[in-house]
Amino acid sequence: MFDKVLIANRGEIALRIERACKELGIATVAVHSTADADAMHVKLADECVCIGPPSAAESYLNIPQILAACEITSADAVHPGYGFLAENPRFAEILQDHGISFIGPSVEHIRLMGDKIRAKEKMRELGVPVVPGSDGVIESDEEAAGLAAEIGYPVLVKAVAGGGGRGMQVARSPDELGLALSTARAEAMAGFQDDRLYLEKYLAHPRHIEIQVLGDGRGNAVHLGERDCSLQRRHQKILEEAPSPALNADQRDTIGETVAKAMRDMAYRGVGTVEFLYDNGEFFFIEMNTRLQVEHPVTEMITGIDLVNEQIRIASGGSLTFAQEDIKLNGTAIECRINAENPETFVPSPGKITQFHPPGGLGVRVDSMAYTGYEIPAYYDSLIGKLIVHAQNRNECLMRLRRALDEFVIEGIDTTIPLFRELISEPDIANGSYDIHWLENHLEKS
Amino acid sequence: MTDDKLRVDQELIRELADLLNETGLSEIEIERKGYKVRVARGGVAVTTAPTANPQQVPEASPASSEPEPANHPGTVTSPMVGTAFRSPEPGAEPFVEIGSTVSEGQTIMIVEAMKTMNQIPTPKAGTITAIFVEDGQPVEFGEPLVIVE
Repeated sequence: MFDKVLIANRGEIALRIERACKELGIATVAVHSTADADAMHVKLADECVCIGPPSAAESYLNIPQILAACEITSADAVHPGYGFLAENPRFAEILQDHGISFIGPSVEHIRLMGDKIRAKEKMRELGVPVVPGSDGVIESDEEAAGLAAEIGYPVLVKAVAGGGGRGMQVARSPDELGLALSTARAEAMAGFQDDRLYLEKYLAHPRHIEIQVLGDGRGNAVHLGERDCSLQRRHQKILEEAPSPALNADQRDTIGETVAKAMRDMAYRGVGTVEFLYDNGEFFFIEMNTRLQVEHPVTEMITGIDLVNEQIRIASGGSLTFAQEDIKLNGTAIECRINAENPETFVPSPGKITQFHPPGGLGVRVDSMAYTGYEIPAYYDSLIGKLIVHAQNRNECLMRLRRALDEFVIEGIDTTIPLFRELISEPDIANGSYDIHWLENHLEKS
Repeated sequence: MTDDKLRVDQELIRELADLLNETGLSEIEIERKGYKVRVARGGVAVTTAPTANPQQVPEASPASSEPEPANHPGTVTSPMVGTAFRSPEPGAEPFVEIGSTVSEGQTIMIVEAMKTMNQIPTPKAGTITAIFVEDGQPVEFGEPLVIVE
């Protein structure tokens, strides 16, 4: 087991990792920018090292500084959290070269799944259903037009180096294809320094359903059920639930086992999430995230399994301590991502939290780094906390969520709590009948 | 810390320091009765665990009548994480001492990270009126190194 873990992240996930390390008796090092000197996880960590000015590029993305921090603190492992360097294969490789463990999958798997075309090819090879599309990079606009005609409009132009909902353009007819291609190409170059594109069929009313997996790198892997993350604004998830109201037990078992078997065949190590679009009873693989996800708590609540604990144990050489049949899914969990944003305009609202009072009670979990008097920096994303509720069934869960949202007090800044209060009183949400376009349509109407 | 604890610590630190010299080790860390002590060649870091007040890495040198570095306009801070060295190489004269006159751009310290030595220049000319780090002390980004007035 590791003696000391350096947490290469910030905000609520840094706190999450800090907690897991503490429970395992592992010493922690919090690296932070000058803007995060008063962050909660920095206060709680055993040691802290300032690694740069506020800009992420000069701090949380600064590999040499993070490496130097490992050196002066003698950290023997790094947990990258999500975002920042979590899926940077070069970072994982550099740590490896320096004899520091990277708490995550192998460099090879990070690289593989980071290339969205290779990822699809691999998944197809392993028997996982994928979205129909170009079988590789589009070489020319003419080729794209031909493929699009074959696949059938509407089509989605996507960046090979993209992911997380970025670098995508829809073309609903042959007329729109040219513009979609050039826009996507420009955005891809700007965002990922790689303008390679591929084409996929654009599904009409899909749900976003993802499977949580866990492997020990030795050919053992399990799935921990699915999460339905269909409620999205600009391709960013805002609410997630487990299990999905759209699936029955058979569908869950089938897709879960398909994915778990693929992970076994790959000898995948650590946690990962295999993301699908689910349309008309069919699953279509879109991408795999080789890291812990923001919404991992809903899976933790219904399975009782501590995913960060598992990550750390497996990274330090441990094996899976349970088999697929030991995993039981219990009840329903829903998570609301609370952002420091205006609930109607979504304009970011950094500043000082003058009053922070989270809800409590049975089945209520708040993962947040906020506290009364905390100054939210303007330099990073606006997620200030996650409210996760768990209950025996979905109706009770919604009741509990309503109750918890009503108790939650955050003053001094704008938050999206009012948006969630409004959403859970919508009949479609109450019935679980929504797809990935639902939220944008709803916001447009109001 | 109480006086008793402080007395015990001093004895312990002296023992450990002797041990360091005798054995040629560069760092010793021990843990006892709810606190941990690490003695490193060139500096001493004391961490107390487990409280909700973590010690910054590195622990500052014992208090003296040094000026407050945080707001002083002449403070030169470390632009990187690493280990500070006062001399160009072991055994050589330190780059600067208190009272040294420096010209703009002159190297006042080296910060070593990942085996590369980075020279830290002073942004302005003047006299060194304070030095905040010891030879071989780990430093973080923004850590005050010296004051130039």
